[in-house]
Amino acid sequence: MSRRQRIIPFLLLAVLVLGACAGAAPQAPAATEAARPKEPIKVGAIFDLTGATADVGTPYSEGVKGYVEWLNSKGGVEGHPIDLISADYAYKVDQAEALYSQFVGEGVVAFMGWGTGDTEALRPRIAEDKVPFMSASYSAALTKMDEAPYNFLIGTTYSDQAIIALRWAADDWAARGNSGKPKVAVIHHDSPFGQSPLEDARAFAAANGIGFTSLPMPRGATDYVAELAQIQQFGANYVIVHTVSSPAAVLLKNAADQGYKDKMQFILLNWCADEIFVNLAGAAAEGVLGAIPFTPPTSPVPGHKDPDEWLKSKGSSLEAKGLHYSQGWWTMAVMTEGIRRTIQQGKPVTGENIRSGLESIQNFDTGGVTAPISFSPTSHKGNNALRMFKVENGKWVQVSDYISATP
Amino acid sequence: MVSGIYHTTYEQDMALRRTPAQKIRLVLVIALALIFPFLASRYHLNLANQVGIAVIGAIGLNILVGYTGQISLGQGGFLAVGAYTAGILTARYGVPWWLSTPIACLVTALVGMVFGIPSLRLKGLYLAIATLAAQVIILWVVTHWKTVTGGVEALVVPAPTLFGRRINTDFNFYWVIWGCAALVTLLAVNLFRSRFGRAFIAIRDQDIAASVMGIDLFKYKLLAFAISSFFVGLAGALTAHYRTIVTWERFTMDVSVTYLAMIIIGGLGSITGSYFGAAFMILVPALLTNLGRALKSTFPIVEGLIPFFQLAVFGLAIILFLIFEPEGLNKIWKDIKNYFRLWPFSY
Repeated sequence: MSRRQRIIPFLLLAVLVLGACAGAAPQAPAATEAARPKEPIKVGAIFDLTGATADVGTPYSEGVKGYVEWLNSKGGVEGHPIDLISADYAYKVDQAEALYSQFVGEGVVAFMGWGTGDTEALRPRIAEDKVPFMSASYSAALTKMDEAPYNFLIGTTYSDQAIIALRWAADDWAARGNSGKPKVAVIHHDSPFGQSPLEDARAFAAANGIGFTSLPMPRGATDYVAELAQIQQFGANYVIVHTVSSPAAVLLKNAADQGYKDKMQFILLNWCADEIFVNLAGAAAEGVLGAIPFTPPTSPVPGHKDPDEWLKSKGSSLEAKGLHYSQGWWTMAVMTEGIRRTIQQGKPVTGENIRSGLESIQNFDTGGVTAPISFSPTSHKGNNALRMFKVENGKWVQVSDYISATP
Repeated sequence: MVSGIYHTTYEQDMALRRTPAQKIRLVLVIALALIFPFLASRYHLNLANQVGIAVIGAIGLNILVGYTGQISLGQGGFLAVGAYTAGILTARYGVPWWLSTPIACLVTALVGMVFGIPSLRLKGLYLAIATLAAQVIILWVVTHWKTVTGGVEALVVPAPTLFGRRINTDFNFYWVIWGCAALVTLLAVNLFRSRFGRAFIAIRDQDIAASVMGIDLFKYKLLAFAISSFFVGLAGALTAHYRTIVTWERFTMDVSVTYLAMIIIGGLGSITGSYFGAAFMILVPALLTNLGRALKSTFPIVEGLIPFFQLAVFGLAIILFLIFEPEGLNKIWKDIKNYFRLWPFSY
């Protein structure tokens, strides 16, 4: 190795060190701040833009950011602009922890998370730091007030989604003039996320005499023909699918090829019932039902107006971005409502006060995007109802009114 | 002016620190490590603790891969064994953290030995696949053995206390983690001055020759798996007590690959290299994120592209370092030292 070559590693090292210095330099305050009379409120956020769930994480992140920009353009919350401090964490728990502690160090009073992994991992820390936390993980475990006192859920929990799907199946079975009770199979992602609704769903099915079985979708499988054969053997009339969009599309394509789609009704829960699924599954998606907590843009409701107009002013549209955009938008809107109430009550904007602000929210109207959101000091479960949708001509169309998991 | 380092006695040759410069550097590093937590913010402490845990895990893996030549893709699984054992003992049976941690190390060592058995017959890529099986099997057990691990739900571990004080704050746990890291370093460095360590290196260099020299391959290979897993289990147990929550998603295949990358970038078969590699794999993404955030305010147009640039730059940095210094960061460090030893009269 010549001497010149030997210098190259040193140069690389020097570049990294320079990068470190640049990274550590304090950020210039935004120019707009000076013009505003009131202090900005800092909210931290981590998004998955490059990791395993980037396909849905990206529109969700755009929705959260879009809401903040839209709100600030309207004068912020009670005159305070929201300063959203966000970064990509690539769906890595370690990076989520580092970013969380960094943002808390920078004074954020609330935090927007994303997946199951980071939400679970940060649970003890947010309780300790008293930072209200909302993410797109709707595991029922997060509604335990003693273990997760600062987690708030906007979406209907996976357990409630599964129960609603079971109730819908039982009603539909009776409405079609069948006697007895239907048989339902749940096919799920083989992970904590996928397993999370199983116990509650099984208990509900047992209590209501519904035939029930569950089976995991093997990780890394390229088709699910074997699983479908098992479901067929069980004699399922309804199949609840709890996974993410692309395996669900593969499953439905297999089901269409094998002729199972006429024999059983497929019902998708929220992380596979979206536009991505419809695009991937194509014709196989037709007639599939979705238990979706966030109304898709193809079935317009008043809550779609603001995000749609905001996106149109940027040369896009809500239809193009999909339902995960409005999911992010309205999750941030509920967090903001908690902050607004804190300010209106004249309390300092701290995590603890935002928590009580959020807990005072009753029947918050998201313009029909979700069932009305209510929190209380004893429950951080935003709602327990959703509407059923069906794929017709490549679009999700509403087919039921709100169905509640607890009548 | 010295023209080289010459030893005139066996004591000098065996010494861990051979030159005054090495001794001064060690004192400086230790002093810096002692002062650091008092000056650092919570964010930097959190990063330092992550690096500390990664250092322990990387040294463990390096003993197996770098020193004994037994490639392992089961790191994530072994970390999970350590974390879940410590977590379950403390959460379910009320075993104090300082006791559940060493038990977790022993259990991981045992599990490591079991999964090390194929190493007697398998080498190289074949062994990599066999240890990959360890990763998959352990994670499957963790997520499906509900009565023991809790299965679906995250395992919540009570916060560790010492003399009535909670110690898992970023500041307090810094001392625990880096205390352990120092201990592990000392053990590992001395291991390779002992009969066992020499046997490991002999197996790595030529296992048949080692066997001819009278080294019991089966015994020493299993021992390498056990010692390596013991340290990896320590890293896992510390994660459990530090984060007070154990979730499956922290121990995926991704983690196994990241650790392998750590020791390759840092330098295979080098304890110092484990430090460099761990720091590189954890600090560089953090630096790039900060750089991205700084750029975001300057060039808002490219904001959407920054996360992808970060990944590309990180990948590029790894490739460039490996092209220009295949022996890892540790070799770069040695070159720097050699350069300055003779500075300004280098030849």
